[in-house]
Amino acid sequence: MQSEYVALLLSAALLASVAAALLSSKVSNSLIALFYTSIILGVAFTAYGDALLGLLTMITFAGAISVLLLSVVLITGESELGFGPRRLATAAIPLAGVVGAVSLLVLFPGQAGGYVGADSSVNVLIFLWSVRPWDLLILIVVFAGAMVTIVSLLGGDDHGS
Amino acid sequence: MTMAADQAILLATGTALVFVGAGSVGFSKNLLKTVMSFQVAVFGANLALFSSGMGFGSRLLSDAFVILSVLVGASVEAVGLAIVVVVYRKYHTLNPDEIRRLRQ
Repeated sequence: MQSEYVALLLSAALLASVAAALLSSKVSNSLIALFYTSIILGVAFTAYGDALLGLLTMITFAGAISVLLLSVVLITGESELGFGPRRLATAAIPLAGVVGAVSLLVLFPGQAGGYVGADSSVNVLIFLWSVRPWDLLILIVVFAGAMVTIVSLLGGDDHGS
Repeated sequence: MTMAADQAILLATGTALVFVGAGSVGFSKNLLKTVMSFQVAVFGANLALFSSGMGFGSRLLSDAFVILSVLVGASVEAVGLAIVVVVYRKYHTLNPDEIRRLRQ
């Protein structure tokens, strides 16, 4: 019964942050809401027992893609990076800390503040290397190809003019 | 085969995100917002794939599909952002209608 409430809560948070991202008139606010969406999705994967997917989602989307989006927003001059009143931000920081601590206690009740043994991390990583190593190789090739395309698109600027 | 309530909730949310993202891709008037909408659709696809594997004993297949979706989605989005930068350098706008008008 409890997992249904967790699913409802996470779904509501996801839909709210997506609505904020898509309906906001400022691109910079959309970017911040999208960052929160990535975090919530990673928490959802983690809450349902797949920490590897949660970490991958957070590292890829909340980390790399958000920085890439921020760079493009700054390059194109679409940024109006006002983060609202400074007092509100200062008040939100301890609140975020409390929410993060409570989330950790809920998600990892036996491990909060404790040592996560080597066996659990090995068990998580063994999925990667024992089940589908060729898939990973193909994905790395696809990702490297995308990076080469980006470098060539951004670097070949002087030939046209 | 019955579906658990939390699985159904997550599956419905993922499907809704896919449709919202795809719809927003079509109606967006800013190329950056288009890329962001595509990211929302990728999020929805990931969530739907993940929740579709929740009812079974082993989730390795759905996990493999989600990892594939995450990395391919991130690669496509990176290429899309590079194209946005190139388009902005050439036309000095991100409005698709304006770009179409300038091309003619």
